[in-house]
Amino acid sequence: MATRMKLKLKTVFVLYFMVSLMGLVYALMQLGQRCDCSEHDLPKDRAISRLRDELYRLQAQIRKLEATKQPQNQPPKSSLPTIFVITPTYSRLVQKAELTRLSQTFLHVPQLHWIVVEDSPRRTPLVAELLRTSGVTFTHLYVPTAKERKLQEGDPSWLKPRGVEQRNEGLRWLREDRRDQNQQGVVYFADDDNTYSLQLFEEMRNTQRVSVWPVGLVGGMKYESPVVEGGKVVRFHTGWRPNRPFPMDMSGFAVSLRLVLAEPKACFDGEAPMGFLESSFLKGLVTLDELEPKADNCSKVLVWHTRTEKPKMKREDAMQSQGLGSDPAVQV
Amino acid sequence: MPKRRDILAIVLIVLPWTLLITVWHQSALAPLLAIRKACHHLVKEIFIIPERFAVHHHRLSDEGGEGKREAGGQDSKEYCASDKDIVEVVRTEYVYTRPPPWSDVLPTIHIITPTYSRPVQKAELTRLANTFLHVPNLHWILVEDSQRRTPLVTRLLRETGLNYTHLNVETPRNYKLRGDTRDPRIPRGTMQRNLALRWLRETFNPNSSQAGIVYFADDDNTYSLELFEEMRSTRKVSVWPVAFVGGLRYESPKVNAAGKVYGWKTVFDPHRPFAIDMAGFAINLRLILFKPQAYFKLRGVKGGYQESSLLRELVTLNDLEPKAANCTKILVWHTRTEKPVLVNEGKKGFTDPNIEI
Repeated sequence: MATRMKLKLKTVFVLYFMVSLMGLVYALMQLGQRCDCSEHDLPKDRAISRLRDELYRLQAQIRKLEATKQPQNQPPKSSLPTIFVITPTYSRLVQKAELTRLSQTFLHVPQLHWIVVEDSPRRTPLVAELLRTSGVTFTHLYVPTAKERKLQEGDPSWLKPRGVEQRNEGLRWLREDRRDQNQQGVVYFADDDNTYSLQLFEEMRNTQRVSVWPVGLVGGMKYESPVVEGGKVVRFHTGWRPNRPFPMDMSGFAVSLRLVLAEPKACFDGEAPMGFLESSFLKGLVTLDELEPKADNCSKVLVWHTRTEKPKMKREDAMQSQGLGSDPAVQV
Repeated sequence: MPKRRDILAIVLIVLPWTLLITVWHQSALAPLLAIRKACHHLVKEIFIIPERFAVHHHRLSDEGGEGKREAGGQDSKEYCASDKDIVEVVRTEYVYTRPPPWSDVLPTIHIITPTYSRPVQKAELTRLANTFLHVPNLHWILVEDSQRRTPLVTRLLRETGLNYTHLNVETPRNYKLRGDTRDPRIPRGTMQRNLALRWLRETFNPNSSQAGIVYFADDDNTYSLELFEEMRSTRKVSVWPVAFVGGLRYESPKVNAAGKVYGWKTVFDPHRPFAIDMAGFAINLRLILFKPQAYFKLRGVKGGYQESSLLRELVTLNDLEPKAANCTKILVWHTRTEKPVLVNEGKKGFTDPNIEI
């Protein structure tokens, strides 16, 4: 009796094993082939085909628009002078936000090459990832500022000049990288907290030597501006130290690439007294009467020297002291 | 001896079943996921970052870190492998059409922005417009806190080319200045947001099939383009983290393993019904239209309870949809712009007042 039972059990096991093995083999074979799962995918397939039709329609529309644009006197995009924008940046809470909205502005401007220079001993992953996903043509550089030249916690923002080494590094790269090419280009220094209108970039694109325009919300005034008479800049309208050679903000001028390459010694002097940073660069490049006024003879404000508040971290600091700070893995 | 045989038997039984289950599980889910992502990717790749696909020169300098993003196209290739023609067609030059063409398929995002006159207003609206010009199917409802629509805003809106609606309502002065506890001030922007809600209810028919999402965007915050795509799939009310609010690096909803919101990760009064910033949620238009009595409470609202005053009339905690990878990514920053120091203007004003800033 016992042996027969055992035998039965053994056969049961063997049968079971064979069945399961066959089932597995069958399943594996099914995987290799395309599944006929039409009942899952029907609504999603419909959505995809709808989107696809939409896409074709839009592409046709775009092609039609481009076709009608050709007869006009528009220079093909590749011959537009490239605008090289040099942005020094440094790590702080609002850095990602500032660079994000800056990239959103730059993404609208054709033939723009963004040179981001970090105040850091190495490239940070935050900036690298942001630039990579932004869609803007970019160059990612870095140079750390020496400790004694850096603003310390609690220093007023005007105490030491900021971004000097970084802008100089941007100029150095430009001179190195573009020295053999004869292409037209414009160099613009854009800080990461200012606000730029799209029209500004079109105004500066055809700079021959150095072009200038008004800047809003700077120098303790609603705007600072060059004063234009007879199509030439005769003096500057500014409320603070108007006797500087070029009493302008960094965002108020652009230099042609040709000039930057022709004067390889011209760069920003970190030792210059407060407010003379721009002048230290420009005096080696151009004289007052050579300046090209833009923005409708310097009567429109196309760039604003906005500054972003430092976010209050009182509660964060309190929480961190208790060991309950917000997850540092979440990138802000 | 029987022990070993038993163990062998057990292993032989269990092994094929575990293999079967894991393999079957994978194969069943993967195609479904792929299709959903493909739809999403089609929209994203075409509209959001088309520059990726632009024909570009590739410079491999030692300085490194240069060049456009070129690997992005591979994502869509993986998922839409059967539709090779779509992937090829999408790889075109970035066309600088502003704003992107209107799509019949995407839900419209109605963005309500209250604004008021101050020196940085034009700058804020300019950079906000620069952001919005990248978002397809966007409708900007700008409500001024003024007696009549100002020419500055009118001109700015017209020049951007965006799809917009320009409204205005003035917050009565005494509501702004009075500070006693019995009649506290109306939080800024409330009347303007309510006016926009009323405009939406008057303009849109609840029975129409027009899909829409309502989002309250203040003019000094910073928004990533990904945020708008996240909110487009809102069914009732969706939520996500916001950076730099509540004195923290970020405030965020608490999401459990089932993907439901069960609390709020904030320090400032986390027991509010909805401890979230204005920029941290979006509402489906249908919900707004079906509950025509829901507005932001004007008077008697404690600091930080403004958002709750609207949301509690619309939805419960359970209905909230967490976005941004289950509320782990920051897609919106509550930046604030410094008030510019205008000392050098002096009493009479130094600069030409005719020049608009």
